[in-house]
Formats: sequence, C-alpha cells, structure tokens
Amino acid sequence: MNDPMKSSDVPAKPGGPAGPALGRRDFLNEISAAALGITGLGSAVVSLNYISPNVLFEPPARFRVGVPDDYPVNSVSFLREQQIYIVRTAEGFTALSAICTHLGCITEWRPDDNLIACPCHGSKFNRDGVKVAGPAPRPLPHLSVQLAPDGQILVDKLATVPANQVLKV
Amino acid sequence: MSEKTPYTTGIDSDAERSPRRIVFVTKKTSGKVLGERSRQLMSFPHLVLREAMVLQGLIIVIALLSLFWDAPLEQLANPLLTPNPAKAPWYFLGLQELLHYFPPVVAGIILPGLVVVALVVIPYFEVNVKSEPFWAGGAPKKLKILGAILVVLLVVLAIFEAWTVLVPTVIMGGAMLLCKFMVPGTAKMWDYLRSKPLSWWVMTWFIAVSVTLTVVGTYFRGPGWSWVWPWR
Amino acid sequence: MSNSSAESLLERLRETKVWKSIFRRGPARTNRTRSVAVFGNLFLHFLPVKVREKSLRVRATYYLGSLTFFLFLILTVTGILLMFYYHPAVPQAYQDMKDLRFVVSNGLFLRNLHRIGAQAMVLFVFMHMFHVFYRGGYRAPRQFNWVIGVGLLLVTLFLSYTGYLLPWDQLAYWAITVGTNIISFMPWLGRITRFLLLGGRTVGENALLRFYVLHCVVLPLGAIFLVGIHFWRIQKDGGLELREENERKNSLHDGD
Repeated sequence: MNDPMKSSDVPAKPGGPAGPALGRRDFLNEISAAALGITGLGSAVVSLNYISPNVLFEPPARFRVGVPDDYPVNSVSFLREQQIYIVRTAEGFTALSAICTHLGCITEWRPDDNLIACPCHGSKFNRDGVKVAGPAPRPLPHLSVQLAPDGQILVDKLATVPANQVLKV
Repeated sequence: MSEKTPYTTGIDSDAERSPRRIVFVTKKTSGKVLGERSRQLMSFPHLVLREAMVLQGLIIVIALLSLFWDAPLEQLANPLLTPNPAKAPWYFLGLQELLHYFPPVVAGIILPGLVVVALVVIPYFEVNVKSEPFWAGGAPKKLKILGAILVVLLVVLAIFEAWTVLVPTVIMGGAMLLCKFMVPGTAKMWDYLRSKPLSWWVMTWFIAVSVTLTVVGTYFRGPGWSWVWPWR
Repeated sequence: MSNSSAESLLERLRETKVWKSIFRRGPARTNRTRSVAVFGNLFLHFLPVKVREKSLRVRATYYLGSLTFFLFLILTVTGILLMFYYHPAVPQAYQDMKDLRFVVSNGLFLRNLHRIGAQAMVLFVFMHMFHVFYRGGYRAPRQFNWVIGVGLLLVTLFLSYTGYLLPWDQLAYWAITVGTNIISFMPWLGRITRFLLLGGRTVGENALLRFYVLHCVVLPLGAIFLVGIHFWRIQKDGGLELREENERKNSLHDGD
C-alpha cells in the first residue's frame, strides 16, 4: 500500500493521461533502477560472450578420408582417429558417428554380429545407425558425406543429414 | 502449575545458567515456551578445545590412511579408447546404475533434480511437527493408500526392470506394513519401527535405495555394465 | 626448575608492550577474558560465547559438521601444496601426477591425503545431512540453514567432480565424459551448458583449464561464502537443536 521508496510526504501531482505524475525523487529512483538493470543485463551478456570460446583446440571437424576405391562394397570401416564409421553399400556411402548416443563412449564394429556395439552399457546399433538393443535414446547420427573436387570423400562431423541420404558413387 | 496462581515467574542469577524468561501464562492462553535450563559453559575453553581435539584426531586418522592407501593413476587419457567398463566416481555410481534402467533424461536430470528439490523443501512442509508415528491414527485408510502407492511403484519398477531399486523398496515397504501387524512386545525392532513417523520412513527408504544402487554399481557391474559377482 | 623459569619467561613476555599490542585480552582465566577470547576474535566470533553443556556431547552431533569443515580445511592446504607442482595443460598434467608420485618428496603422501580427504568429505557431508534430518535440526527457525546446507552439498559434489578430471588419466577422462554427456540431456539448456563447461565440444585442453579454475577458485570461494552463512546462522538460530525425538513439549516444565 504505502511504498517506502516513494516519498509519502509530498502531495500527489496533478495527473496526465498516463496517470498521477511522479515526483522528482521517484522519477530519479526509477531511472537509476533501470540504468542498473541495463548495466547488469549488459554485463551478463558480455560475460557469457567472453566465456564462450571462439577458438577450439580440437581436431578439425571436416576432413578427407581417402578415395571411394579404398572402401570395398558392403563394408563398414571404423576410423579410430576421427571416430566415425564409413559404410559403403551397393548404392553408395554413408558416414556414422561412432560416439554412442547414450553417454558418449566410443562404439566398436563387430563384423561377426554385423552390429555396432557400445562397451559402456550394452547399446547395439545396425549399420544404418538404428538402435537394436540397449539404453541409447537415439540412433547414431548420419554425417554429411560429399565428394571433393580432388576425388576424395569429404566428411563433415558437424553436419548431420537424414538417414536415407546416400552419397552415390 | 497450581490452580491458585494463574501464572509462574522466576529469575536466576547463577552465572552458569542463562537468565530464565519471565512468563505470564493465564488460564486462557497456552504457553509454548520451551525453556532451556541446562547448564551453560564458556565456549572458550570447553567448545574450542574439543573442536581442536577433533581436528587433531582427524588429521591423525587421515595421515595414517594416506600412508597405506595409494591414490590410483591409470594410463594417460586417450580420447580414442573407451575403457570397459567406464565408471564414474563412487558417489555417482548409484546414478550410473540408475541410468542403466531409465532413459538419460529421467535418470540423469529429472530424478536427481527432484531429489534436490525434495531436499530443499523438507523444512517448509510443516506436516507432522510433533513427529507422530505413522500408524498412530486412521490406520485402515492409511493402509489402503500405502498399499496403493506401493503397488503402483513396484509395477512401474518392474516394467522398467529396475530390480536394484525394486528390492530395497520391497524390503522397506514390507517393514512398514509388517510393523503394523506385529503384536506389541514381540521384538524391540517392531516396536521401534512402529514409533517412526512418515518422514523417517521416506528418508530411510531413500537412503536404502541409494546405498543399494551405489553398492551394485561399484561391485556388481563389469564390462558392458553386465552383472558380475564380485568374488569371481 | 627450568619449567618455572620458562613459565616466568612467558609471563614476562606477556607483560611487554609488543605482546599486549597484539594480544589484547590477557590470559583467559576469568569469564570476562574467556568471553573476549571468542567474540573478540576474528576467527572464532561465529561461535557463541556460551554453549549448552548438552551440545558438547559426542552423541549430540558426533561432530559430523565440524569434521566436514575440518576436512575442507585439510583439502585446501593439501590442494594448495599440490598446486606448486601441477600444470593444468594437456598432457603435462599427467606427467605432473607421475612426478608427484615418483619424484617429489612426500608427493605420493600429499596426493593420498588430498584424495582420501576428498572421499571422506563427500561421505561426511552426506552423513551430516542425514543426521541433521533424523534429529529434526531443520525445523523452524532453522529452515534456511538447511537450504544453505543443501547448497553446500551440491558445492561439495561439484568440487569433487571437477577435481576428478585433473589427473588426466583414463579414469578421469571417461568419468567426466559420461558426466558431461548427462548434462547435455537437460532440456533447452543442456547443450549450451555442456559447451560452456567444457569450453568446446569434447573434453580437451579447454575443459581441463576450466575445471581447474572451477575447482581451485570458484567453488572454494562459493563454499567459503556458504559456510560463513551456515555457521553464522547456527549461532543466530540459538545453537544446536537439542530436543530429543519423542519429546514434543508444550509445557513450561521440561526437565534438565
């Protein structure tokens, strides 16, 4: 009811279309609060910008993995350094991320079972990345595969593509 | 308090006791004053020296343990090679065991979040301030509600095949129900359990489940998070 | 003979102006000087001047809270000493861990102290919390102190978690990988939180440095801040909650 921050011993000024007029003290209080708020908000945004790194010391996300002839038809090749699988079917090439979608462990290709298996909690995927067993919540993401001008296969780990997209070779 | 005097008063000039409050309690009002009359001692030396002894005892124990129990150091971190099994520190192993049963959103975010929220609001739910035993009154209704909750909980746990959570829940729920039906005086344990309020039961169930999850995650899980017997 | 001459030497030392300018209250032999020893002291004035006799008993609290705090002090001291030989860089961190174990005098002992202290602190903070719960020490007017305690629990767990990465061995790397992946499951904020925490998309050099700063500076400061409030609140709430469990008294006449 009685706002202690508002001066109560000053008679109310005649009002205009927006309502009763503010006294000088109340106006200055509100301006200061707004200024502090803007400063605070600005500081938070600038700090967040600062803390978000612009340069990452990580292996490059786009890389070449050789020419199509390096990979036999109907094969699954595990590239350990880049943590991906290159899958070649009769149609063409797809690339799967080898990182299990459950909690980030690196999966392994089991040719005898025709499955990609994760050692941590027993998730299993087929060569399309679809989960067939275990607690993984999502299928293995398909990564963008393209043919570079020099004839090599170019993989981009940051670009995921739909599962039915195939690089036809 | 006698019938004649409608109030009691008193003062105390003993330096070892705090001054008593003077309270006027008439017949119409009820006094909820809890006078603390036990002896008071000077913090220095009594409290300060006891704390110093505790600190010294702690240092001795930790130092002795450190002479014989070496901290582990495995191979250099290799981002390309996941060890099998990859286990979290022991205080998170209960969580990792829970992750085996429920989707990561549930076991990793929702359940721990709910636990923290529940912990924070405990003191603000001023239910049962007097700590009445759970079975004190309204037994038939309580029996039905408790039975219903237990059945739903056990069915959900069975659907998710979360045996590690189910077994302690069965034990705690069983104890909660059994102590009602045991004849008073048969064994101290049942009388003790029957005197416990609901908050005690909930917290003890929580501790039982957490300890079971952590123990299983530590000793009973091997490669691929498969079940292993620790003595093999 | 030498005992009394040593004592009289101390007495004469205590009479000097220099001594009196530093230690102003004099020997704590009267109740007045004993009071000043507590409320006139920067490090002790969070304690009450007088305590109820019952609260000193071991069975009152088993000194669990005190033990947790003392473990924090031990971890701070051992942690600072460890910092003299540790570089938070990849792969230098791992090499430094090996140096501490094989090359540095008492390095293995120091690291053991720190690690055992850390495990013990997590254990004791849980035990303290459960004990306060079972004794009803969270009831009014101590509700907010309980909430501060939950905050301290989270700070302790996060301290332990950030410290776990620092050795940069397989155990550390994969434990943190699993943990940060769990964080990414948080709705909306999960991925950005993980990105900012790790300083990137994977656990790498940036992550090690950020966890080091969190572990050595940010979280300890947070802990000290909360511990200060926690102790101050105990005093302002009237000390320990000492009512026995089944004594819910509404009368004036409770016994001693």
